[in-house]
Amino acid sequence: MNSAQIEIQLIASLVAIACTIPGTFLVLRKMAMISDAISHSILPGIVIGFFITHNLNSPLLILFAAFTGIITVILVEYIQKTGLVKEDTAIGLVFPALFSIGVILIAKNANDVHLDVDAVLLGELAFAPFDRLLISGVDVGPKALWIIGVILLITITLLIAFFKELKVSTFDAGLAASLGFSPAIIHYGLMSVASVTTVGAFDAVGAILVVALMIAPAAIAYLLTTDLKRMLALAISFGVLSAISGYWFAHWLDASIAGSITTMLGLIFLLVYLFAPSKGIIAVMYREKQQRTEVSLLTFLLHLKNHNEFEERHVNHLREHINWQKVRAKTVLELATKNNMIIVENNIVSLTKKGDKFTSKAIDYIITNEDAQIEDMKDDFFLFRG
Amino acid sequence: MSKKIAVKVDDLTVAYNYKPVLWDIDLEIPEGVLMAIVGPNGAGKSTLIKSILGILKPIAGSVAIYGKPYEKQRRLVAYVPQKGSVDWDFPTTALDVVMMGTYGSLGWIKRPRQKEKKAALEALEKVGMLAFKGRQISQLSGGQQQRIFLARALVQNASIYFMDEPFQGVDATTEIAIINILKELRKAGKTVIVVHHDLQTVPEYFDWVTFLNVKKIATGPVKDIFNDDNLTKTYGINYKVSIQE
Repeated sequence: MNSAQIEIQLIASLVAIACTIPGTFLVLRKMAMISDAISHSILPGIVIGFFITHNLNSPLLILFAAFTGIITVILVEYIQKTGLVKEDTAIGLVFPALFSIGVILIAKNANDVHLDVDAVLLGELAFAPFDRLLISGVDVGPKALWIIGVILLITITLLIAFFKELKVSTFDAGLAASLGFSPAIIHYGLMSVASVTTVGAFDAVGAILVVALMIAPAAIAYLLTTDLKRMLALAISFGVLSAISGYWFAHWLDASIAGSITTMLGLIFLLVYLFAPSKGIIAVMYREKQQRTEVSLLTFLLHLKNHNEFEERHVNHLREHINWQKVRAKTVLELATKNNMIIVENNIVSLTKKGDKFTSKAIDYIITNEDAQIEDMKDDFFLFRG
Repeated sequence: MSKKIAVKVDDLTVAYNYKPVLWDIDLEIPEGVLMAIVGPNGAGKSTLIKSILGILKPIAGSVAIYGKPYEKQRRLVAYVPQKGSVDWDFPTTALDVVMMGTYGSLGWIKRPRQKEKKAALEALEKVGMLAFKGRQISQLSGGQQQRIFLARALVQNASIYFMDEPFQGVDATTEIAIINILKELRKAGKTVIVVHHDLQTVPEYFDWVTFLNVKKIATGPVKDIFNDDNLTKTYGINYKVSIQE
């Protein structure tokens, strides 16, 4: 690896981390689409900022553009508050309007400078190492690295300082307000960080990748954990993983780095979506099948408990009595036997002591509306699951 | 009566989009009562609580907690929102939700430490949920989730408790457990204000009641004012509830 390659991967990784942190909270607040809106509507902010500063890397320009991001959020909320349209419609109205203003401004006034729509939307990570930051003539590294590094540092500081406020206001805004943590301040704080990050990252990776990096790693992590801190850590890891693997994928294909990173995010999401241990599609399907069998088992045990007469408990008649297909009846019978819940003597099925205890407890839970407890009880009684 | 007034509401009017939801409410809640707020759907019961707690901005009127504005008295007040108002799939545990009750006394930036954790564990024990402390909140039953919310309010160690329909969607066992805790709070001299739906249980659970339907219909001791007349005025139809003696 040469130094440019290392620098590109470093920039991509820092951008990934900087996007993932606000992104995790956007996903939890069900505001993923707002990042899409911000990333597009900062365009007029960048253009106007550029007219004023004449410098694409000026911190003033970043603040100016980030301010457009906040305006987007305010406009969306304002339109939504009229009650005439829903939030997604409001987002769809605001950002194309602002974005198109940016496009026209560029076409009319900025044709002669390095500022075009492609660059804003897609960025070009491969060129980032060429734009160096010189401090009194000394080369201290790529400008993009410094910009995103500073933004990341601020983001991490804010995250550590206000973690508990972010958590409580995201989970329960009403409680946060009653405790004195203004949800509005936290909301706009988060939106400001998201806007500044988007602007800081657009030059390197483009607005589209910013959206992908804000949403995808958080969505992946959400499927894998039930703990907020772990979700943040996982999201950051997946962000960095896709940044680095995406770089090498692009290197191998000789394709756009931003596009490859986004592809990697999509692939990782697909894998996790399928194979996540408890929330993945396959796990959910397996669990549903297990649950169906176990509910059948419980129904069967209840039937046995309710009926003492032999004809109701004869193996051959069970199918007719509880109206099950052959396969299902066999599966259930086998499961009950394996778990020592029943014994079969002379083709007559009876509950064992254990089976009887399990059934009585289950009935108790059902009539007191605590069905959820049955799941816990299964761990104590079942040797084999359905 | 020489009892202190815990909550005083003066000329409170709240509107959504210019339609009044609460109209000129005057209300005095004495210290140490266990009070139900009853009224039909859309009567503004939740809105009243939210306005007292500063979550909603009224268009007129004022609220005082022990004679001072709510902003100065936050530490004296605990709030249990409606269970349905939060996302129970949020990645967090029962213990962590209860810990949130300690955030108010910590203020901005400071983090909860051992002391706060200990208080949260004690509150969990009080509501019989200690065994579930590490459980992800989506894996709790409706009744258990409500107990977690109650524990979160208990940990605030407040003087006044506001609860928005704490009995909604809970089983009978939990309902009894919750009301027993509320009665204990009253015994300890706390004021408890509950948005309540089940009129049948009002005389059994509460000693004070406020009838609300956009306007305040009546407020006072259950034994004096919980009668068919006020119920009819509030609910608009001929209401009959047999009152247990």
